[in-house]
Amino acid sequence: MSKRTGTDGSLLTSLPWTLAALTFAVVPHLQFLPFWATGTFIVCAGWRWQVERKRWRLPPAWIRILLALTCFVGVLLSYESVSGVGPGSALLAVMAALKLLETRQRRDQFVLLFISIFLIMSSLLREQYMWSLPFLIAGVLFTMTAWLHMSVSRQASIGGSFKSAARLVAYAAPLMIAMWIFFPRIATPFWAVPIDSGSATSGLSDRMSPGDISSLSLSNAVAFRVNFDGTPPPPHQRYWRGLVLYNYNGRTWTGGGPSIDPLARSEVEYAGEPVSYQVTMEPTRQHWVFALDVPSEWSLDRTFMASQQQLARMQPLDQRTTYSAVSYTDFRLGRQLSSFRRISYTRLPETGNERSKAFARELRAKAGSDEVFINQVLQKFNREEFYYTLEPPALGESPVDSFLFETRRGFCEHYASAFAVLMRAAGIPSRVVLGYQGGEINPLGQYMIVRQADAHAWNEVWLPGRGWYRVDPTAAVAPERIDAGRSGAMFDGIGADWGLSAPSEFLYQLTLTWDALNAKWNEWILAYGPDNQSRFMEWLGMQDPDWQKMMLTLVVILAILIGLISALLIMRYRPPPKDHAARLYSKFTAAAGVDPGMGETPLTYSKRLGEERATLRESAQHITDLYLQARYGPPGVIGIPALQTAVDEFSRNR
Amino acid sequence: MQQGNTLEKLPLSDDKQRAAIDAARRSLGGIVLGKDAEISLSLACLFARGHLLIEDLPGLGKTILAQSLARVLGLSFQRVQFTSDLLPADIVGVSVFHQGSGQFQFQKGPIFAELVLADEVNRATPKAQSALLEAMEERQVSVDGTTHELPSPYFVVATQNPSDQIGTFPLPESQLDRFLMRLELGYPNEDSERALLIGADRRQLLTEIEPSLNPDILRELQKAAARVHMTDPLVDYIQALVRFTRESPEIEIGLSPRGSLALVAAARAHAFIENHSGVFPDDVQAVFVAVAGHRLKAASNSAFRTQAELSRHVLDSVRIP
Repeated sequence: MSKRTGTDGSLLTSLPWTLAALTFAVVPHLQFLPFWATGTFIVCAGWRWQVERKRWRLPPAWIRILLALTCFVGVLLSYESVSGVGPGSALLAVMAALKLLETRQRRDQFVLLFISIFLIMSSLLREQYMWSLPFLIAGVLFTMTAWLHMSVSRQASIGGSFKSAARLVAYAAPLMIAMWIFFPRIATPFWAVPIDSGSATSGLSDRMSPGDISSLSLSNAVAFRVNFDGTPPPPHQRYWRGLVLYNYNGRTWTGGGPSIDPLARSEVEYAGEPVSYQVTMEPTRQHWVFALDVPSEWSLDRTFMASQQQLARMQPLDQRTTYSAVSYTDFRLGRQLSSFRRISYTRLPETGNERSKAFARELRAKAGSDEVFINQVLQKFNREEFYYTLEPPALGESPVDSFLFETRRGFCEHYASAFAVLMRAAGIPSRVVLGYQGGEINPLGQYMIVRQADAHAWNEVWLPGRGWYRVDPTAAVAPERIDAGRSGAMFDGIGADWGLSAPSEFLYQLTLTWDALNAKWNEWILAYGPDNQSRFMEWLGMQDPDWQKMMLTLVVILAILIGLISALLIMRYRPPPKDHAARLYSKFTAAAGVDPGMGETPLTYSKRLGEERATLRESAQHITDLYLQARYGPPGVIGIPALQTAVDEFSRNR
Repeated sequence: MQQGNTLEKLPLSDDKQRAAIDAARRSLGGIVLGKDAEISLSLACLFARGHLLIEDLPGLGKTILAQSLARVLGLSFQRVQFTSDLLPADIVGVSVFHQGSGQFQFQKGPIFAELVLADEVNRATPKAQSALLEAMEERQVSVDGTTHELPSPYFVVATQNPSDQIGTFPLPESQLDRFLMRLELGYPNEDSERALLIGADRRQLLTEIEPSLNPDILRELQKAAARVHMTDPLVDYIQALVRFTRESPEIEIGLSPRGSLALVAAARAHAFIENHSGVFPDDVQAVFVAVAGHRLKAASNSAFRTQAELSRHVLDSVRIP
């Protein structure tokens, strides 16, 4: 090894921590990254570590350029774009991995740690969960620790660096909180996070084709949470109106777009007691706004009632949104129906589902009245062998025929679709409403959780003199689905899967607790927007809060905080002992094993040492130079740390 | 000289000054062979605005050193050979009646050169000696009530032959104090002597070398040398040395405050020449024998025969803090 061309191993102590910090920052992105990007990251990190350990060479420039281009093209192919959160963070992660391959010095590690911070922040663009805050703090702490550890001597323990990092973060925390509280929020943000096109949307589809999908996956994800001002309505009234489908082509039900209908509200006659509540809705990226059937007032901007009394917003709901609304569960809807509309609500395709149509006409003729007919259809569902299942068999060319007379197995969509077809065949106007039904009360937070699994489809039929009224054929088949909600049923299987006897109740409680915490988090932290801020300012006693006042308060508070922290730092400051350099020097002479003579100057000693121990000559000269500079040179040119590093290294190698 | 590390880059003086100092040392080293330490000390003495006493046997290159200093530093040079019949006027100058103007005019003596070589200063009478020493101290001469400024920089190199005892007037300790440093050149080592023997004539060489400095640069260097950083631990060291000279039973007369000031000035100048970022203990030790040797008086029962040995004893007895 006369000529060493590989790395010199000088990053051996700091590199693991840099790698760890970087990995920590990448972890939340992993589930979104394409597998090759994850692979690239792991391979590069492992490679770089081996390079440092084995003193290999770093790959030459052309390989790095080639890799960078390949990864860029890879991101382009995977995402068909380089802008947006997904491709952006993927690009950041793979380029950080590649940066590892040209990390030679401390400076390069600084760049890596900068990227770590950036990656940590960019994970917030995807989601801001409650655990995002601890994650954020941990990430910053981790990065700061790696950062500090890079700058201290090699022997220093990671604990010391961690302590310093924790102290820095602690000093910064009050500033952060003050800025979070007082920095003026504005209604429209300066920037918008680009939404990934094509990424999965949760929530309801705006069409319904029972029979196409042969199973429904129950997502436990929260659709929205509701705080009722009074007592929540009983379960059988918890119908959350979403969108309405009224066109049927023989397989698929579709509805109209979210277009405003100024007359829609006037068609409702509200009765009974109003129910007022606040909804915190998870982003759906759709236009539909959910409200308890049927809403009379709502507080969301740019939101209107469409023709079938469903609420819609001009902009899709891209972020978590809170609104309050007032609904009446007792109502009459659309007493008048124009003949034009009547035709459209009874229209069926000319062909298909012939058996059902014939059955409906026959039953209607026997029944004598619409009411009796409707009851008979519901009784058919109830009394005959119809089953509610989430995994029904696929249906054929005429799905309603297949369902009614062959399979007889399905979930809400099948029943709603079949019911609507039967009604229309008998000349009764009918439509399908999509939304959510039910919701469980979380006793811990006194609020209601409505999950994606609560998605439901039901019908509305129009009878003269009575108007539109709700009929839920699923309730005829599986009344427990409606009345009980799903309660703990969804957890029934879990305990068995895990080989536990009765964990379901415990798990259920745990889930509820977690959700209650999340709800508070959303309510207090994430929903701290312009409204909440100005309310909070008023609560603090600020008259007519506006952004100037908040800014002024912020500046004053920051000045005070910085002053306090500075005072604290000054009080805590202990100048390094004057003879620190001398102590380090005697550590060096002790480690060298040769005592300096009385009155022997450092240079003479270093020379003598070099003569007595030839192997020590270089390091002795180096340390002596540093010592003389540190002890006898002007202050601040070469400090104690460099000497400390050199002496530590020297005594470790002895 | 430090080598191969980053410390050299610390700018104490600008590159031009540094280059000039290095060139001067090189040129001097080319003429006075094998006496690098003495050359450094002479330069340090000059940069510290002190005067130099070279005490040694004849033929060891005292005069050559003085002449090459003058040449390399670009200073005007005058040599005064001190003899027993030398009068003060021969050194300082005389007022001569000018026939044309009918007035006395002052004829400047050799002492008005920027570098004065006072050869065999102990052979002249105390009266002549004190004329020189007073001029050195005051940096001006008064003749017939008129004060004449001596040039700046002003550097006196005096030599004396310690073995001459008959008919000499050795400088008393109080007078020796006026010299910042006293040097002994000593015999050259084998290699240097060989190079001297086969090399060109020194006097010939002397006429051929180019000056590396000039009085302006020299003044600048003197200012810069006085500004070299000195830390507390180093002051502690100097005080410890001085205290030892005053307290040691081996020493009858220790260093005066003027002596410790001289030590500081010389150490600073030495650090400056060596391009140290501050005054190092090595700088103090390098100048200590030259600065302190002639100011110390050994006790009568002392085991140390020479002042140089005594100085070494001081250095070896004081721990560097």
